Amino acid sequence: MLTEELVDLSRLQFAVTALYHFLFVPLTLGLAFILVIMELTYVITDRPIYKDMVRFWGKLFGINFALGVTTGITMEFQFGTNWAYYSHYVGDIFGAPLAIEGLMAFFLESTFIGLFFFGWDRLNKWKHFMVTVLMAVGSNLSALWILIANGWMQDPIGAEFSYITMRMEMTDFWAIVFNPTAQAKFVHTVSAGYVTASLFVLGISSYYLLKGRDLDFARRSFRIAAGFGFASALSVIVLGDESGYTVSESQKAKMAAIEAMWETEPAPAAFTVFALPNEAAQRNDYELQIPYVLGLIGTRSTTETLPGIKEIKDKNRTRIESGIHAVVALERLRKDRNNAQALATFEAHKADLGFGLLLKRYTVDVAQATPEMIQQAVDSTIPRVAPLFWSFRIMVALGFAFLLLFGLALFYSVKGTFIEKKWLLRWALWFIPMPWIAAELGWVVAEYGRQPWTIYGVLPTHISVSNISVGNLYGSLAGFVGFYTVLLVVEMYLMTKYARLGPASLGTGRYNGETRQSGGGGPLPAGAPANRI
Amino acid sequence: MDYETLKLVWWLLVGVLLVGFAIMDGHDMGMGVLLPFVGRNDLERRAVINTVAPHWDGNQVWFITAGGAIFAAWPLVYATAFSGFYWAMMAALWALFFRPVGFDYRSKIQNPIWRSTWDWGLFIGGAVPPIIFGVAFGNLLLGVPFHFNDLMMSTYTGSFWALLNPFALLAGLVSLGMITFQGANYLMMRTEGDIYRRVRTASMLSGSLTLVLFALAGVWVASGIDGYVITSAIDGNSLPDPLYKTVVVKAGAWMLNYNRYDWAIWVPIAAFAALGLGVMFAQLKKAGLAFWSSSAAAAGIIGTAGVSMFPFIMPSSTDPRSSLTVYDAVSSHLTLGLMLGATVIFMPLIILYTSWCYKVMWGKVTTEYIAANDKSAY
Amino acid sequence: MWYFAWILGVTMAVLLASMSAMMCDAKECALDEARKQGAGNEPHA
Ligand code: HDD
Ligand code: HEM
Ligand code: HEM
Repeated sequence: MLTEELVDLSRLQFAVTALYHFLFVPLTLGLAFILVIMELTYVITDRPIYKDMVRFWGKLFGINFALGVTTGITMEFQFGTNWAYYSHYVGDIFGAPLAIEGLMAFFLESTFIGLFFFGWDRLNKWKHFMVTVLMAVGSNLSALWILIANGWMQDPIGAEFSYITMRMEMTDFWAIVFNPTAQAKFVHTVSAGYVTASLFVLGISSYYLLKGRDLDFARRSFRIAAGFGFASALSVIVLGDESGYTVSESQKAKMAAIEAMWETEPAPAAFTVFALPNEAAQRNDYELQIPYVLGLIGTRSTTETLPGIKEIKDKNRTRIESGIHAVVALERLRKDRNNAQALATFEAHKADLGFGLLLKRYTVDVAQATPEMIQQAVDSTIPRVAPLFWSFRIMVALGFAFLLLFGLALFYSVKGTFIEKKWLLRWALWFIPMPWIAAELGWVVAEYGRQPWTIYGVLPTHISVSNISVGNLYGSLAGFVGFYTVLLVVEMYLMTKYARLGPASLGTGRYNGETRQSGGGGPLPAGAPANRI
Repeated sequence: MDYETLKLVWWLLVGVLLVGFAIMDGHDMGMGVLLPFVGRNDLERRAVINTVAPHWDGNQVWFITAGGAIFAAWPLVYATAFSGFYWAMMAALWALFFRPVGFDYRSKIQNPIWRSTWDWGLFIGGAVPPIIFGVAFGNLLLGVPFHFNDLMMSTYTGSFWALLNPFALLAGLVSLGMITFQGANYLMMRTEGDIYRRVRTASMLSGSLTLVLFALAGVWVASGIDGYVITSAIDGNSLPDPLYKTVVVKAGAWMLNYNRYDWAIWVPIAAFAALGLGVMFAQLKKAGLAFWSSSAAAAGIIGTAGVSMFPFIMPSSTDPRSSLTVYDAVSSHLTLGLMLGATVIFMPLIILYTSWCYKVMWGKVTTEYIAANDKSAY
Repeated sequence: MWYFAWILGVTMAVLLASMSAMMCDAKECALDEARKQGAGNEPHA
């Protein structure tokens, strides 16, 4: 039996493990390219300090990477263990990018990461640089394929339902690969990863600068992070806007919920900066708006309207009513493939099959759906407004804050005076966690906003789950929470230990706190105040 | 390529990926199984671990990709097996958790308790998954209690404990023995001195044991368990719908393919021969040949299970017509063709650069090397 | 074509950041290094 409890627990488990996986992913995506930058500079200038930078930041990269891999395997397993009907229903489409991800990206990344760490003495510097590049490209390609898969869930094009196999079948692979939603998602998400890693490097470098240690090491790291971070912060915003545009094209309900837009407004609609959405009364208790802006962002025109929640619901009611015929006809066809009459009805209502399936949440026999059930189904097609509204706004606000921070960091690093700007260094240090918050909220917007669907308009979340006992879920959820808590504690401990230790952890004898080697090139005195320079 | 051919090709390809997993991830999992026993102090253990340090992650991708390929090529198998074997899958998954963290974090802290904890973690990560996959194969041979409703939603009616029946446990041991053998032979190539002596003994022991257990399992399948037979006509080119066929359970049916196809019998024979040769080469201190023999043994053992069951992948014991076969558990024609294309392009590339990595890192890993590279080695 | 923009963008950003580091070599980091030569014999603070 697919009870509400089973569905909620499956969702909770997926959300917990996915959000957890995504704690490690962005840093991998971005730090890999920062390592490329540092190593490129090393092969050009031949200064050993850049090699030390690659190795030190690489150490932190490795600590993070281990958990990225660990939690990634969970994600792959879960489609089978907890989303069995989903896996059957869309595996024909969804499985392909996942398998290609393995073949094309994971192999590349995981094979070369070994040489990255252990190949220093066995490869010349150009070969090692190529290894680092391939590792970075591999990690980003893995993001590409998983986001093509996820983009298809948001905007399922290039596929068609077959009543004989009782699932979606792929009709156009390239349409799925070049899906505009997937493209916008990919560039926005990897840019978010670059921002995360840049701020990580910027913040930790600032920490050394504030402590006045390892100055030459920290300065160069800071500059690299500032440059790369500024470009990335800019691109996150531009491509976030593009993501918003694809959402308003393909998922009008999500857009309306993000904007707390209950009524359809005349074009171009106003952008709501702040509001107190009231779900029960279907209106905002208070709102602060900027005229025209939403219409311009959402439709890139002054004449198109964006539908409000109430209008979307009306449309969905018609589709649900039509979907009932599709489901009933399909059930007949499954008993007798040759029933021509059922086939005709099915073909006529096929486009609304997913909407009919929404009713399976309330009744096994969709033909018997009461008006109350239909009303419930209609209401369920709009995700809850307040969480989306706020998650989105916090993400966007942070995006602009990052742009400002990196803008200043870049400005002062071009001027060469950032080391004196203590407020900037402190800001960078304390802002380290923020990109993670923005990215996790981004996923909440994307995934929670897609509800009640796993495949938008095609497959309701409610019937996507595995038909297993609730006890299984309590058990596995407890296991994940337990394991993941311990792993996070261990990871954070090592990360902070090595970040505090700094480049001295390489044991080269050149850095803060290490015993001085005889001859030149010894470390700066520990704790030398930054303002003396 | 027509649909039927593609379906058969994908049966072979999934087999190839599983064998690839057993050969590649097998040797580092085997390393994990042996680690606590062949490394008697921290330096020795680090030497053992560092034989696979640059490679374990790439090897693990064989496993991930095999999973992804089953998802893409046989979505129904992926859905039904993973959800049905829920706790077994969770146990395998959680055991795998110990590997990345164990490898990467173990030597980052100088504390004996910390290090030995992760050593046992690597042991769990090496031993538990092969046992579970073996047990899963054993249960596939026995038939799994599941059925589909009209909308193809699967329900599994067995329990976790029922998976742990004597035959399946025997299959689990075969699998563990095979992986340990593989790991021991790999370590023979990459270590020297005391460690080498210990892994050589381990190799001969695990190889012989696997041979005996595999023979036992063979006798059991031939005499003690029921196989499955499709009784309706098979149209390999039809759209896949598992519920559209009839199946009966018959004693000894898993031996039928060996009568039907003359070449089939060579698969188990090859497995036995490779196991025997592997033990012999270990005895003769020919580590490289021993490694190739145990790799061939893995192919033979996995192949034997596949050939015996063909065309079944996952027979249903409670509703035989729900059984999943090579013909009706598959993806669409387009997806199979596309995935074949991707495999043909990427597989040779992968094998190429993986070999290059091994070549670059090749050589004996000694305790002296570890002592000299204390900060950068695992 | 956002995929294409990505390839271009990443390449540019990598070069930009690398140049920024090399500017450091030419400017204030060079000062650091000069200072370090002089500070070679100071004890730890
Ligand atoms: C390939 C598909 C896919 C990908 C790449 C992601 N998700 Fe997702 N997500 C799903 C497929 C999915 C899903 C299977 O469709 C879920 C499970 C239940 C559901 O409602 O949708 C889901 C739910 C889901 C939820 C809960 C929504 C709810 O319960 O209402 C959250 C918060 C996330 N996901 C977050 C993430 C994060 C942080 C990801 C990045 C790693 C992520 N998703 C990647
Ligand atoms: C829910 C879907 C997802 C699945 C099934 C999944 C699967 C996996 C798996 C199996 C691994 C381990 C690979 C290895 O051993 O090297 C992994 C790692 C990784 N994944 Fe995911 N993943 C998902 C979501 C994502 C998303 C959305 C992104 C990026 C936007 C992403 C990016 C990565 C990266 C960069 C790695 C490399 C390891 C690391 O994080 O450090 N993944 N993923
Ligand atoms: C002005 C800035 C931003 C805008 C306009 C913006 C816009 C968006 C939109 C509309 C979505 C939803 C896409 C969907 O539902 O499919 C989204 C998702 C997301 N955002 Fe942002 N965002 C901004 C800043 C950020 C920042 C700073 C980060 C992280 C550092 C971030 C990380 C994410 C992530 C990880 C997702 C989920 C993946 C995706 O759907 O693309 N965003 N963003």
